[in-house]
Amino acid sequence: MKHVSEEDLIEHHYGESNASVERHLEVCGECAKAYAALTRDLAELKTAEPPARNALYGEQVWRSLSNSLPVYAKRERNWSHVGLWKGVSYAAAGVLLVVGVFLAGRQWEQRKPRTMAKNDVQAKQHIVLLILGDHLDRSERLLVELKHADASSTDTLLPMREEARNLLAANRVCQQSVTQIDDPALATFLNHLGRVLAELVNGPGGLSGSNITRLQNEMNTDSLLFEIRVLRSRVPDQQSGGAIQPNGGTI
Amino acid sequence: MGENDHAAIRAILSGDKEAYGALVVRHSQGLFRVAFRITGNEADAEEVVQEAFLRGYQKLVSFQSRSSFGTWIYRIAVRCALDRINSSKVEGTSRIAPETDPVQREMQLPNETAGPERLLLSREIGKMQETAMHSLTPIERTAFVLRHMEDLTTEEIASALGIAPNAAKQAVFRAVQKLRCRLAALRVNI
Repeated sequence: MKHVSEEDLIEHHYGESNASVERHLEVCGECAKAYAALTRDLAELKTAEPPARNALYGEQVWRSLSNSLPVYAKRERNWSHVGLWKGVSYAAAGVLLVVGVFLAGRQWEQRKPRTMAKNDVQAKQHIVLLILGDHLDRSERLLVELKHADASSTDTLLPMREEARNLLAANRVCQQSVTQIDDPALATFLNHLGRVLAELVNGPGGLSGSNITRLQNEMNTDSLLFEIRVLRSRVPDQQSGGAIQPNGGTI
Repeated sequence: MGENDHAAIRAILSGDKEAYGALVVRHSQGLFRVAFRITGNEADAEEVVQEAFLRGYQKLVSFQSRSSFGTWIYRIAVRCALDRINSSKVEGTSRIAPETDPVQREMQLPNETAGPERLLLSREIGKMQETAMHSLTPIERTAFVLRHMEDLTTEEIASALGIAPNAAKQAVFRAVQKLRCRLAALRVNI
């Protein structure tokens, strides 16, 4: 068993030891004996009590001191007083500034998502319309060719059918893109165009004169051409850096 | 009392010197007690009290209002008392009897055979203890007084003496060891 050192016993006597010393003293007779001897010795160590000072002792001390003490300059008081208020003012201004910045930050944070969302939609719309511009041009050309097609010439009709196939695939991509910008008019137009293109590509009996006439009547391709003109006015002109193109019909 | 002390300090620093009188009156008794215990001498203790209040007044601008004036001036008094017993040692004016002088010890020991002389015996023991106390170094004596008689913690002693807590603990430890050795010798001789 490891005994408690004298230093630890002294600490224990003055109430600054840990609980392990107390526990050890309960089980170790040797250390308990040493501690009892220490306690006895320290109890004997009593120096003479300070002689009593009368009630006027403090007054006497003050009288003996007062003449030798200089007076603190008043300006120090004023300086410290002003300094205190100045400090308080600076602190208050600092707090106001921090609160102001905090509130402004909160406002900015609240507005930011809305602005960003709005900007995001506008950006997507812009991109879709740019992609759509080429598609509208090609569709317009096809519908014009269809309107003036020579039904007897296969040299004319075959390339039209091939172009319609390409445009049909492009139209599907455009339809998917339009769903992101929530434009019902454009979506309706693309559906209409899609049906016409599908009919041109997959229509029974191939692309013949009678079929072309039927398509023009049943599918109202003229209205499609008109819609294309309207839509092209909304599509930014790529060459003019995004400026809105006026009516761009070529019919 | 603490608030009164702080109000008095503000008044003093504003140019009202008389306000210091209230602080002196309020804390003189406590300062005298600790000064006497450290110096062991009434005249020295009174000198320490005056010097402590003088130093306190001069340093009042640096007093941090977060702490208690009583604690602050108490520490100054402890330092003053320590300085005084240090200078006593240097000047060789200590009233300590030579600790290793067996002849001197023989002369100071009471004769226990006479019953009516118990009072004298007690007085002699007191003298021996006082001698033992004076055999300590100033820092040991002061640390022991603050620990044993003023009931200060190790941290408080360290703060008052401007030393590390471990150094304060060691000073108390050495003081107790030395005093016990002295007492043991006294018992043997008695």
